[in-house]
Amino acid sequence: MRIEISGLTKVYKGKGRALDDLDLVVPTGMFGLLGANGAGKTTLMRILAGLLRPTAGTVRVGEHDGTARAGRLAVQQILGYLPQDLGVYPDLTAREFLDYIALLKGIDDRAARRRRVGELLEVVALTGDADRRLRGYSGGMRRRVGIAQALLADPRLLIVDEPTAGLDPEERIRFRTLLSQLAGQRTVLLSTHIVDDVAQTCRELAVLASGRLVFRGTVGDLTRQADGRVWTVVTAGPAPTTGTVVSALPHDDGMRYRVVGDSPPAFDASPAAPNLEDGYLALAQKA
Amino acid sequence: MRPLPLWRHEARRAGWTALLTPPLAVAAPILIAFVDAGANASDHEIAQNLFGALEMGVPLAAGIGAASLVGRDPAAELLLTTPAGYRTILLRRLAVTVGWTALVALLLAVPMIATGWWAKWPANHGALPGQLIWLAPTLGLAALGFLAGAAFRGPAAAGGLVAIFWIFQQMFADRVQEQGWSRQLYLFATTRGAVPADWTANRITLIAVSIVLGALAWLLLGRTERLIQGVTE
Amino acid sequence: MIATARYEMAMMLRKRSMWITNAVIVLLLVLLNVSGWGDALRDPDARNTVASTVFLMNLMLPVGYGSLLADRLIRDSRLGVAPILDATPASPTGRLAGKYLGTCAAAAVPLAVILFGFAAVYSVTAGRPVALAWAALAYAVVVLPAVLFVGAFALTVPLVMPAPLFRVLFVGYWFWGNGISPAVMPTTTQSVLSPAGVYSNQELVGLRDFTLAGPVPGATLNFLRPEATPATAWLSVGVLLAVAALALGVAQTLRTRTTR
Repeated sequence: MRIEISGLTKVYKGKGRALDDLDLVVPTGMFGLLGANGAGKTTLMRILAGLLRPTAGTVRVGEHDGTARAGRLAVQQILGYLPQDLGVYPDLTAREFLDYIALLKGIDDRAARRRRVGELLEVVALTGDADRRLRGYSGGMRRRVGIAQALLADPRLLIVDEPTAGLDPEERIRFRTLLSQLAGQRTVLLSTHIVDDVAQTCRELAVLASGRLVFRGTVGDLTRQADGRVWTVVTAGPAPTTGTVVSALPHDDGMRYRVVGDSPPAFDASPAAPNLEDGYLALAQKA
Repeated sequence: MRPLPLWRHEARRAGWTALLTPPLAVAAPILIAFVDAGANASDHEIAQNLFGALEMGVPLAAGIGAASLVGRDPAAELLLTTPAGYRTILLRRLAVTVGWTALVALLLAVPMIATGWWAKWPANHGALPGQLIWLAPTLGLAALGFLAGAAFRGPAAAGGLVAIFWIFQQMFADRVQEQGWSRQLYLFATTRGAVPADWTANRITLIAVSIVLGALAWLLLGRTERLIQGVTE
Repeated sequence: MIATARYEMAMMLRKRSMWITNAVIVLLLVLLNVSGWGDALRDPDARNTVASTVFLMNLMLPVGYGSLLADRLIRDSRLGVAPILDATPASPTGRLAGKYLGTCAAAAVPLAVILFGFAAVYSVTAGRPVALAWAALAYAVVVLPAVLFVGAFALTVPLVMPAPLFRVLFVGYWFWGNGISPAVMPTTTQSVLSPAGVYSNQELVGLRDFTLAGPVPGATLNFLRPEATPATAWLSVGVLLAVAALALGVAQTLRTRTTR
């Protein structure tokens, strides 16, 4: 399912523009949405999920007009949504919570509902804890309940907002893998400010900054933004002042700095091969 | 009609607060009625307390309960994206709250009718139409609470408004009954001596107003944007 | 403690809903008795006019505040800031006191606006600027004790029961303890324990429209209704504040028990 966004603008009363004339096409499959906090990612996600109405512009989700009421309702029929702050009812068990959401998503048949909830608990590896109250769940477990509920009605569009925030490394990896596996015929829109999550799961991505689209392309394209702009330098003296220091590691002769910038940070700096994070930073510097 | 398990879930969402509040709200006046009975009060006084439980306690519980429905829902953002529609969910929760309160009212009214206590209050309006004694103010106050909750997006101020409205009508009963328009909106027209000829009109007005307030709440709750931008606390 | 109080107050005053609720009630009061207010605004007896107005206010508005403040203390844990606050060097007692004073101050502001607004209008229409002085006195000895009393219970009781249940019971209590005539049943109405403040209003401010304070013939609990004198009026203020302090002490105990 393809999402076509054109001229999308969202103005919050008294808070200014969250999205500014955004044009973007999201193809079927896994798609990453990168941006700093406050770049407008959550606003975009909420508009796509039918929670917010755009101030101007159009949104087409598959054959549906996401700005009209009928279209929004139609999108919600095929939508799985994992909000950034997923609140759960602490007094319910994971199984009960999923059962409730399944009912709200229209899975009325009891046997079908039970089967579906059971399958998804298996998918997110929570079968063993399914009958424990959500109150005692860790952040990562709650996230997994969140992804399970998003998948309940077998959605064709999956929108996940900052899903890995607060997860431990192992949980993050498991979560990312799960999302990639789910992509297949679905459109999965992954919003995050963690570059690595996108690097490991998406082929294509977009970068937002201050409500505008500043990049749209493949992971390779974004990485290439930093071609010829990544340097390493070893020094015992002060840290380089030109460019952005990406990492600082202790070294036998002082510190080894990795720097993204237009020019070498020191005469003895040596060029290095860029990665996605470097590309993202280089983009931020150009913007 | 949605499947029964969904209603069961909503009843659980309401929680034991909603379960306990109506019985406790009617328990106090009933207790007083019993104390009165022990102290040789007249049947009239005892009946007044029993009717007071129905006309004062029941609506207050429903009003505060309805005022507590919007805001404070940790999963609101998720529920707003379900095809079921969040306001439908809220309406179902309102039905659970008001329905349970109504059941408590009936659990008091039916034994009163069976034991003859119903007839001991002169303005009882019969067994069937007499149920408007609690039903009309209950719907009125519940709709007010629901609308206030939708407008304020939180139970604290909404509950405050319901509370003040209720106490206002208690403390200024005479004033409220002095003028035609406020007399039609008086919640306690059965137990606090309203103009008898006005009773039916008063009850119908209260129900009509509850429909208007409920419709306003429905419209307000359709603006999802207000709901996710947070509670005004 | 002062910082907590200021923050708490600012948070409450920013709530538009609180102002709307107040406006609705004032409007109702005015609408129901337009001619009465017209007379009151020309009444040369400034003392009694202010006292009657305060009496009406105090009979009702604290109920709204009781409901409004009911979740301030449990809100911290719901919003997840409690552990953060617990880790700050501010002492729990200071924080509780700050929270209490802040919420009470926030509740007192709209009441001040209403009372002094009325007194200002009245002092012009009746040509009696002294009304402002009487309003200040009434505010101090009638309104503030009620706010402090209600605030203490609104912070404490929801620690042991859900806020909506507290609201229902609190409204019921208020009607029983301030509205029901003592001749009908045992109640704290018209006693030194009544937060409506009839003793201080009658003896210190000068309420003369009704005589409410003092023993009620044939009523139970008359030991709570000594002869109305300025001394018993001050006693009433003291009793209300002492009960409030007791309630806060309970809140403090409950909170230290749950955090440890």
